[in-house]
Amino acid sequence: MNELLQQFLIESRELAEHATDDLLALEHAPRDAELLDSVLRAMHTLKGSAGIVEFFEMEQAVHAAEDALGAARRNLGVPERAVIAQGLACLDQVMEWLDAIARTGELPRAAAAARPVQHDWSAALLERHPDALPLATTAIRYIPDADCFFQGEDPIAHITALPQLLAFEMQPAQPWPPLAALDPFRCNLVLLALTSASLESIADHMRGVSGKHDIAALSSQGQRLDQSLTAAARHVLASQLALVDGSPPPPFGHLASAAITASNVLRFCGGDAEADRLAGIAAMDRADMHAALRAALSGLLADPPEEKSAAGRAPQPAVRSSRTEGTPRTLRVPAERVDALVRLTGELTVARNALSHLARLAALQGNSLAPLLKARDAAFGQLTSQLQRAVLTLRVMPLRAVFQRFPRLLREISEELGKAIQLKTIGEDTEADKAVAEALFEPLLHVVRNAADHGVEDPALRARQGKPPTATIEIRAARQGDQVLVEVADDGRGMDVDRIRQTARDRGLATEDVLGSMTEEEIIELAFAPGFSTAGAVTHLSGRGMGMDVVRTVVERLGGRVSIQSQAGKGTTVRFMLPFSVMMTTVMSVQAGGQMFGVPLDSVVEAIRLPRSALSAVGAARAVVIRDQTIPVVDLSQMLGDHDRVPDSTETTLVITSFAGQRCGLEVDKVGEHLDIILKPLDGLLAGTPGISGTTLLGDGRVLLVLDVGEMLQ
Amino acid sequence: MSVSLGADRQILLEGSCGSEDAESLLQLLLSMPGAVVDWQRCSMAHAAVLQVLLAAGPPLRGTPRGEELARWVGPALARLDQ
Repeated sequence: MNELLQQFLIESRELAEHATDDLLALEHAPRDAELLDSVLRAMHTLKGSAGIVEFFEMEQAVHAAEDALGAARRNLGVPERAVIAQGLACLDQVMEWLDAIARTGELPRAAAAARPVQHDWSAALLERHPDALPLATTAIRYIPDADCFFQGEDPIAHITALPQLLAFEMQPAQPWPPLAALDPFRCNLVLLALTSASLESIADHMRGVSGKHDIAALSSQGQRLDQSLTAAARHVLASQLALVDGSPPPPFGHLASAAITASNVLRFCGGDAEADRLAGIAAMDRADMHAALRAALSGLLADPPEEKSAAGRAPQPAVRSSRTEGTPRTLRVPAERVDALVRLTGELTVARNALSHLARLAALQGNSLAPLLKARDAAFGQLTSQLQRAVLTLRVMPLRAVFQRFPRLLREISEELGKAIQLKTIGEDTEADKAVAEALFEPLLHVVRNAADHGVEDPALRARQGKPPTATIEIRAARQGDQVLVEVADDGRGMDVDRIRQTARDRGLATEDVLGSMTEEEIIELAFAPGFSTAGAVTHLSGRGMGMDVVRTVVERLGGRVSIQSQAGKGTTVRFMLPFSVMMTTVMSVQAGGQMFGVPLDSVVEAIRLPRSALSAVGAARAVVIRDQTIPVVDLSQMLGDHDRVPDSTETTLVITSFAGQRCGLEVDKVGEHLDIILKPLDGLLAGTPGISGTTLLGDGRVLLVLDVGEMLQ
Repeated sequence: MSVSLGADRQILLEGSCGSEDAESLLQLLLSMPGAVVDWQRCSMAHAAVLQVLLAAGPPLRGTPRGEELARWVGPALARLDQ
């Protein structure tokens, strides 16, 4: 189901439930204006959202109910019981529709046939004019423009001149102001009328008048009634029809009693209007009765009952309870509450780590409770990690929400560029933390734009190269362990390594020597350098030279990595590796200068122990050569301010980190265990300390500072 | 004049009352709260005039001469008074 429809379902359910509760309360306290306002607000929003998903039947139905209640508020301040009942029936119908959408993922097609409360104002009007009931076929509601008097219109004269008028009412459109403030030349009228003329002739009569008017065919009364006909009632009506249709034609007396039987059945089912109509037929002359009765009965039985049964009209508790079964329910919870839960879970993990520490301590001291403590700790540990996983999934959402914005965007982009490009998305169900999914949109957009602008060739060029004229950009997502892989692949020209090298030279991003010694991958990596752009012309879409470095910054801020693979003539793939959750981080604990630090595991390449002599001085700095690659080395404790340290052994430990394609060795005293932590951002006095991304509490109560490798290396 | 002040502080609507009469009717009603409006000799009244009657709701005397007024507008005004 598409995201929009899903959102619509959740919201509409809430609104409909809310309005139903208020309406039920209003039944007992009809004078409570606040309740009525609340119902009207909910209905108004409900109507609006139905319009947004283009579910017009629902929009109309709710509009009608809203209108009837709104009119009640304007005129009397107290809605009639019948109007409240209509509102409830409408909301019930809405709930059924919503359930149908939840089941099928689509707007119900039979909705058009249902329309249970479409013309509520007309039903109410009919109720007020029982004398007009048997004859009325068309109802009109006319709200002239406020300035219609200036246009020379006389709306009342126009309405009272309607053909075959049966009833006429006028009401204020807005509550009257105090008489002294009344503007007599501003029309504030709602005119209502019932006629026995046809809908077409009324439409003709109303053509060209200002303002808005609704014309309702009252034959829909019959249809509405039909929905509530029980199977038994249908059976009785059908047997009357069989009698009427029988050959030879039944005698006059049989016909009249058939009409009366049908009338009674209808009255029993609550269809007073139809019952009256049939009673009228029973009183007709012999000549007319046969045809009239036949038409009336076949009209009542015209539609198959299955379609109608879905549109029950009375709000019944039984219907409601059956509805809840099998329909997935969603609970909407404010994000802060989920975050609070995540935070608490983090603290629970810390508390559990303290317990582990205690268990280890007890074991060291040979305490007799140690084995028990250890067993408890293990159980506790399992539960906390389960809890942690469960809590983190609360923040998880499918990437579809991000992906589904792209088809429209790509269509705009391709139109602007004059290139035919199709979009394929794979793995939309892949889930990621809300923060990751939301932050992913912008980098993805940059990359997709780049692919369309720089990657995809002009149609003519594609044709010469024997490629299909329509280029393809594919967005793929997949879960890989604790990470989420997202790729954007195009089938364009690929990255031009020579051109990148040339541009890097021109822009002074690297010296000739360095460029000469770089591998192809390293050259491509230069595209991520700030201020790099190879676009021949700066277009509206990309080529401002900020694309790829922004992409890298955003992705790395999320704790992810981004890389490019490119094949000349075949296309480019940009690959994002993102953490599944930003709340959980795995760090490698290291010791330097007597203090513990955490290094995010996703930036650690390896940890090695090697003789101190392997480090060579390069100017003021030091470097080490590992597998033919020269890597700069920094002493972590020195870097963090401990200058007096004297090396106490001939060996040293290096943690090789990688950030933005750059490698660096951190010299540390000791490498410790891997820890799953929930990172707390720095706040208070420590906020903004460079090189530190956050802290977490260790089991023994110490604070672990987690390093921000990227920031440190700058 | 189709809107005028009659004897006994009654407001008279006579003949055909056009939209321009709405203002004078409103002024009369404002200056004499509770005054009765006699519309027996009224043959036709513009919606603007009728709207003033609807908003002010004065007691109406008699059945207007105009058929449309008598048949439709009178009952419609009376309905709102209920």
